[in-house]
Amino acid sequence: MCRHSSFSLKVFVLLLVVSIVSFPACNRGGDEKVLTIAVVSGVEGDALTQAAKDYEAQTGVKIKIAQFPYTNLFEKELIDLQSKTGAYDLIMLDDPWFPKFASLNSMSELTPFFQKKNLAGPDEDFVKTSLALCRHPYESGKLFALPYVGNSQLFFYRKDIFEKHNLKSPETWDDVLSAAKIISEKESMKGYVMRAASGNSAVADFMPIFWAYGAEMFDANGNPTVNSAEGIAALKMMLELGKYSPSGYASFGADEVSNHLLQGTAAMSINWPAWISAFSDVNKSKVIGKMEFTTMPGAKNPGRAEIGNWLIAIPQAARNKDAAFDFLLWATDKQQMKLSATRGNPPTRASLFKDEELLKKNPAYPVQLKSLESSRPRPRTPQWNEIENVFGIYLSKANSGEMSAEDAMNKANEEIKKIVERGK
Amino acid sequence: MILSNRQERRLPYLLISPTVAVLLALSIYPLFYSIKTSFQTGDDAHFSFDNFTRLFSDGFFLSATAHTFVFASLALTLEFLIGLGLALLLDSKLRGKNIFRAVLLVPMMLPPVVVGVVWRLMLNSDFGAINGTLKSFGVDTTNLTWTASPKLAFLSIIIVDVWQWTPFVFLILLAGLQAIPNEPYEAALIDGSSAWQTFKNITLPLLKPAILIALLLRTMDLLRVFDSIFILTEGGPGNATETISLYIYRTAFRFGDFGYATAMSFVLLILTNIISATYIRFLQKQDTV
Repeated sequence: MCRHSSFSLKVFVLLLVVSIVSFPACNRGGDEKVLTIAVVSGVEGDALTQAAKDYEAQTGVKIKIAQFPYTNLFEKELIDLQSKTGAYDLIMLDDPWFPKFASLNSMSELTPFFQKKNLAGPDEDFVKTSLALCRHPYESGKLFALPYVGNSQLFFYRKDIFEKHNLKSPETWDDVLSAAKIISEKESMKGYVMRAASGNSAVADFMPIFWAYGAEMFDANGNPTVNSAEGIAALKMMLELGKYSPSGYASFGADEVSNHLLQGTAAMSINWPAWISAFSDVNKSKVIGKMEFTTMPGAKNPGRAEIGNWLIAIPQAARNKDAAFDFLLWATDKQQMKLSATRGNPPTRASLFKDEELLKKNPAYPVQLKSLESSRPRPRTPQWNEIENVFGIYLSKANSGEMSAEDAMNKANEEIKKIVERGK
Repeated sequence: MILSNRQERRLPYLLISPTVAVLLALSIYPLFYSIKTSFQTGDDAHFSFDNFTRLFSDGFFLSATAHTFVFASLALTLEFLIGLGLALLLDSKLRGKNIFRAVLLVPMMLPPVVVGVVWRLMLNSDFGAINGTLKSFGVDTTNLTWTASPKLAFLSIIIVDVWQWTPFVFLILLAGLQAIPNEPYEAALIDGSSAWQTFKNITLPLLKPAILIALLLRTMDLLRVFDSIFILTEGGPGNATETISLYIYRTAFRFGDFGYATAMSFVLLILTNIISATYIRFLQKQDTV
């Protein structure tokens, strides 16, 4: 009798000890006052990382940075919001992701936090188009984020080459095409460069042309209309420009485009202001002082850039929401945003675009502000990811020569319709 | 410790219980959970076959399936032919064959992600080593945009897989060759058989088990390949190199549609099972002959 129970007892105690010892391995964050922020790799995320370090030095609040490349960041944040794990106290998100995240009902509404501090909401200095992105529904709904990086597309072109051939600054896409032709023929570089890799790349570089030609992605009832006559005409213009772009552009991303501009092998492009500082960097640029930045060319409609702001939100499942909001308010105040601007991030406050000190290092700020204030967001649908994905595939196929413009737009419209139906 | 009869009988179960618990928690439970998920669409919890019926009308799924099968068959054929050639070569009395064998095994030992990243750099059309080398031989590489053109991208993913996994086939076939006894060859020599006749009538039949194992293992892997293709082309340009596993990934993690993704995963699982069962049936038939 004694021998049986002592054996079973020993085994039981052994298992118990093993399980207890392994518990500390799954630490459920008993640390208070440690904020975890998910940021994107690159200029935008690096600036926020720097700001976090400053905040830590100033206030003693510990901040952990989780930095990921663009698509990984999206996946991680989507999973965190869907399963409400509370892994992040603050998330940095690209504005096209906002409608999907908001539809999950898992980001914290910020107005109550403002009210706790006796504020009505974000102050008037924020650029309207940037702040509008942070509301769900767009522009009029509740506030779920604050805008941190005020990016909107600019048109980059080589002013020295343009002067050499007596070309005026391009105002319409036809101007761009004829300039591209002349430059490609008379110079050893290509007249134009764009990114047409499947997905976000192709769509981002296409939307300004699409809108300028008067096309819309959806009609008033939410039905997709990408294959309208205007849409097809816009795609045809993109394909024309492709003839004067470096070969392989159909799988270019942002890096390849900027490299061609920096190396002087292409003369014009749509690009984001974050790249402006690289053009004066001796280590990266072969075209210092030769690049000019202007607002988007138009066609039937005046040119409007695509807005692409990085926002910061607080997930509902975050463990330190109040501390997170304190950081958010601090990081988006005028002083911190000015610092962020010196680190390469366009601000989202109108006053900073006119700040004298910043203007010295960023002479393109007036153009950027103009572009930002007249910019358009991508369609505010929670299914934007799928739609952009499918749209991007067909744009890429048209640019790689696999499909004609009509076929590509028709098929894209069909697929987008399916996605919209599924979402109903 | 002297154990009683009862304790001795219970001991094995007690010892494997932690493993069983882990297996249940991390394999069995998720399996059943994902079966459940595949029958749900969107936020409703009610049972529906929608995810499965959607597969038949989904152009992207059908092209992903086509891409997977074409990729798997082409890669398998190349890996088999090259692997067999190498095995035959290194089965002979070649000097320094041990060194060759060791070197040949290196690609197989590298993590697929590393292989993907390095090949992607090499295949870069402007700055990569491949085009650089071709240029130095006078080849015009302006149109050799490896990852940008649909056909070249498809070729690239096949080349990378063949580069990495031919050593695996080579290893299995070499082992098979070395297990063949000498007597049949001696008899063939006496009978005056030519090299080709010897190969066809003695080597190949005796190698069949090894061949089938190699083909079976590679097929199962090729149907599932993800890492290297993801790094090389991410399914692009367009969806020219998107295989089923890449489409599943996109559906689950970019669109958040886990129901549809798990439904596709099951279809892939069933497909792989059917193909493997066919191979194994073939193998068993050989044994009984």
